[in-house]
Amino acid sequence: MRVLRGSLMAAVLLTATPTLAQAEDYTVGLLLPYSGVYAALGEEIDSGFTLALEQRAGEIPEAEITIVREDTEVKPPIALSKTRKLVLQDEVDVLVGVVSSGVLGAMRDFVHQSGTPLIVANAGNDDATGKRGSPYITRLSFSNSQVSRPMGPWMAEQGIESVFTLAPDYAAGHQMINAFTEAFEDAGGKVVGQDFTPFQNTKDFGPYLTTARASGADAIFAFYAGGEAISFVKQYESFGLAEDVPLHGTGFLTSSLYVESQGSAAEGVITSLHYAPAIATAENQAFVEAFSAAHGRLPSEYAVQGYDAGQALVEAIKSGATDRASLATALSEVQFTSPRGPVAIDPATNNIVQNIYIYKTVAGDAGMTQKILGVVEAVRDPAQSAQAVQ
Amino acid sequence: MTADLSFWAIQALNALQLSMLLFLLSVGLTVIFGLMHFVNLAHGSLYALGAFVGVTAAGLAGSYWAAFVAAPLVVMLVGILLYLTLIRRLRSAGPMNQVLVTFGLIFVFLDVFSIGWGDIALGLAEPELFSGRTEIFGIVYPTYRLFVIGVGLAVLGILAVIVSRTQVGAVIRAGVDNDAMAACVGINVERVFFWAFCVGCALAGLAGVVAAPVLSVTTDMGTAILIPTLIVVVIGGLGSLKGAIVGSLMIGFVQTFGAVLAPELAAILIYALLAGVLILRPAGLFPARG
Amino acid sequence: MFYQTPLKTAAILLLLTAALVYSLVAGFFGLEVLTEVAILVIVAIALDLVAGYGGMISLCHGALFGVGAYAFASATVLLGWDASIGLALAILTACLFAWVIGAITARTHGIFFIMATLAFGQMGYAYVFESRTFGGDDGLPGVPRLDLSGLGIDLNDSFNFALLCVALATVAYLLAAALLRSGFGRTLVGIRSNELRMRALGLPVWRHKAAAFAISGALAGLAGALAAQHTMFVSPGLLHWTLSGELLIMVILGGLGTLVGAVVGAGLLVFLKHEVARFTEHWHLVVGLVLIAVVLGGGRGLYGQAEHLWERRQAARKAATAAKETPEHA
Repeated sequence: MRVLRGSLMAAVLLTATPTLAQAEDYTVGLLLPYSGVYAALGEEIDSGFTLALEQRAGEIPEAEITIVREDTEVKPPIALSKTRKLVLQDEVDVLVGVVSSGVLGAMRDFVHQSGTPLIVANAGNDDATGKRGSPYITRLSFSNSQVSRPMGPWMAEQGIESVFTLAPDYAAGHQMINAFTEAFEDAGGKVVGQDFTPFQNTKDFGPYLTTARASGADAIFAFYAGGEAISFVKQYESFGLAEDVPLHGTGFLTSSLYVESQGSAAEGVITSLHYAPAIATAENQAFVEAFSAAHGRLPSEYAVQGYDAGQALVEAIKSGATDRASLATALSEVQFTSPRGPVAIDPATNNIVQNIYIYKTVAGDAGMTQKILGVVEAVRDPAQSAQAVQ
Repeated sequence: MTADLSFWAIQALNALQLSMLLFLLSVGLTVIFGLMHFVNLAHGSLYALGAFVGVTAAGLAGSYWAAFVAAPLVVMLVGILLYLTLIRRLRSAGPMNQVLVTFGLIFVFLDVFSIGWGDIALGLAEPELFSGRTEIFGIVYPTYRLFVIGVGLAVLGILAVIVSRTQVGAVIRAGVDNDAMAACVGINVERVFFWAFCVGCALAGLAGVVAAPVLSVTTDMGTAILIPTLIVVVIGGLGSLKGAIVGSLMIGFVQTFGAVLAPELAAILIYALLAGVLILRPAGLFPARG
Repeated sequence: MFYQTPLKTAAILLLLTAALVYSLVAGFFGLEVLTEVAILVIVAIALDLVAGYGGMISLCHGALFGVGAYAFASATVLLGWDASIGLALAILTACLFAWVIGAITARTHGIFFIMATLAFGQMGYAYVFESRTFGGDDGLPGVPRLDLSGLGIDLNDSFNFALLCVALATVAYLLAAALLRSGFGRTLVGIRSNELRMRALGLPVWRHKAAAFAISGALAGLAGALAAQHTMFVSPGLLHWTLSGELLIMVILGGLGTLVGAVVGAGLLVFLKHEVARFTEHWHLVVGLVLIAVVLGGGRGLYGQAEHLWERRQAARKAATAAKETPEHA
């Protein structure tokens, strides 16, 4: 059982070599949803983050890292209170986490003004590393348009001429769909119809799926995550749309976190994302093994995001950063090889530069797995002119 | 848009399917409301419990049908337990205390699900027998959705016969109409309440296990369905079977056709419908007591 | 009927002292929690005014609170107006919104009233959530706080802001108490006890109910404007029905129709949640069990139970004195 959470101090005491006199103390504020609709994502990111610190502790022997955990409950006002508490009361050197973009939006000004470095481990709102960016905010996860944009040219190349898009009616849904639509139409395709469904309020996608089929489009492009993704993929399959309008989307649709719950319904769905457990590199195999050994299942993209947030922190400490200002600078310059391939931080946006994988979900020997169809290397977001580096 | 007739026929089936799910949930709630004047906000949690028990039962027995049987039974047992420990005591405690206790139960169930089944969303596979699609009247439609409609219609038919043609039904109607008078003429009102409550809980569990293969099973599914169910009950009028039927159909059709015809209003429509009905009919469409 | 009994006065003074002492000893996060409690106390008082004394169990006070917050944020962030004008606008907008809801729903009762208010609240939520003007689900950042530097008070300091909220919560209580003691308040209680009779007496009942709802809305709007300043950010979650539900829980937990109960309930629920959350992420379970226990332990809410016992003792003492005096006169 996962009791004893919240603000309990969970000290990761890293074996300090006694000969080195100046041991550095670092306090990390881990801000994640441990309750509420995104609790599973919070746990996953936490697991990845702690795994990275455990694995790489040996590289920073003189650092002593203390983690203070706070539950955002996915409520912006609560998350902001907790952020202030971590920064002003616990005096953390760095903040890590944030699943919901709404929460990130609420925290942004305070983080920026207090000059506290923040490693974003999920929240994908484009603006967070765009027009509301900050030199203190470094994103190690993804941006919404970064994961959906590469799908535009790729689908056009496959001979798909028309697409119907579906996504929940909130900021992330609009950003994913807009970036895809722009890229797809630039590549010569046409979006013949689109629907935005009430966010977290749509149980029955039947009406939308029926409309999508009637539109006569060659394919569907969709973004859904969590419970909505399970319902959507299962209902898509039950309507037998696979032959008429094959399902495409961003990889959250068939995340390894819940793809087993979708079962055979997820077979054949083609998606783009920054991670898939099936990536065949030595780094990823080692990561998958370590994570599976600890949790008995495959890691998801959320686990990798947490893991890389931890790796980035280790890299920054290794480079000699000691306080908030130097950590912020060091974080925006990190580059390393992640389970998802080589990653670096784009100096223009402070967003991660990474590979985007296009893959098909297929049935494997031990449950569902992915067949990688293509890799778009070193995808970066266009820098937005109004970037607020004040 | 699409002038194709089969398009509208499929949408009508979608609406009917949603209506039947709402009916299974709301009929239990409305009877408990009407008969016992009991505000059971935890009804949605019992629905979620049905889905979770279904996932476990199907996993253990390897068959959906085990879940189909186990879920209503287990939820009914939990309902009996709640009745004996809490609800019987609260019958005369006033609506505010009932709100507080059943709200507390929502909280308790939320964490029971989280501790027992984890926070990751789950799914329940549909039974082999009803997987795939069926062609009826020239329309191809998911078989399982037809099964959902069938279960809803069957429950509706059985309840309609019981309520209108049997002695038990007469007793229930008497209880809804005036429980004090019913008690005076020698009806054991308390026992009627008890059984009505049990059946209501079993139906909530049934709704959960029937909905699970279409939806995903998440800890918050009970709270998410509570409001639409309450809306059905209130639009229809408390304690009325006819009200539950009409209310479910109205919400099911407005939600489905709203999503097709006015997608930007989809989130507001059912609330606008609720407000509209209550402004014109402050006690719902079919108030059961005069 | 509302009486400012000695017990009420004592309880309020005690709570106020506790808040002030706490503000002096609390760490940074303690001040955040105190501010949150003070703001919620204002909405809870607003809700108890209509629910406890007017019989109007509203499930849209979260939305009224949110409307106030959004009005304040829109005025200051989108229009660039001064925070003091924003505050007035927040109170006015929420007041107007509440009056409309109150007027339209005046004919409904019980669960129908609850659901009708829910409908209006949720429509407001859905509108704000999807509105690009108000920032949609991203909300509106960069909300400023009132500028009291003319008085030498810097509200960007947590301690000062917490004290301001506590002071305004006290004012809200005094206003509500004064209103309930007035003729208007007595009429309101009369409507709750017997609406038909009041109507038969020729009273325009709906106008009274709508007015009460509007006053309650104005208080909720004030709280909303404070909340927007506290977090310096507004998001649609402020309008969601779950917040309305939590507010109702606070009022019932403390004791419906006692005014002090609203204060006790708001404080208790927030502190309970934060304290339990320190030890386990499953705080829902613990809070849920506490709610059930409170009902089983009397069913009048915490302060409501205390007041009930106190009143019974007063009555018994009076009866005893009366009994003692009678023989002498006989």
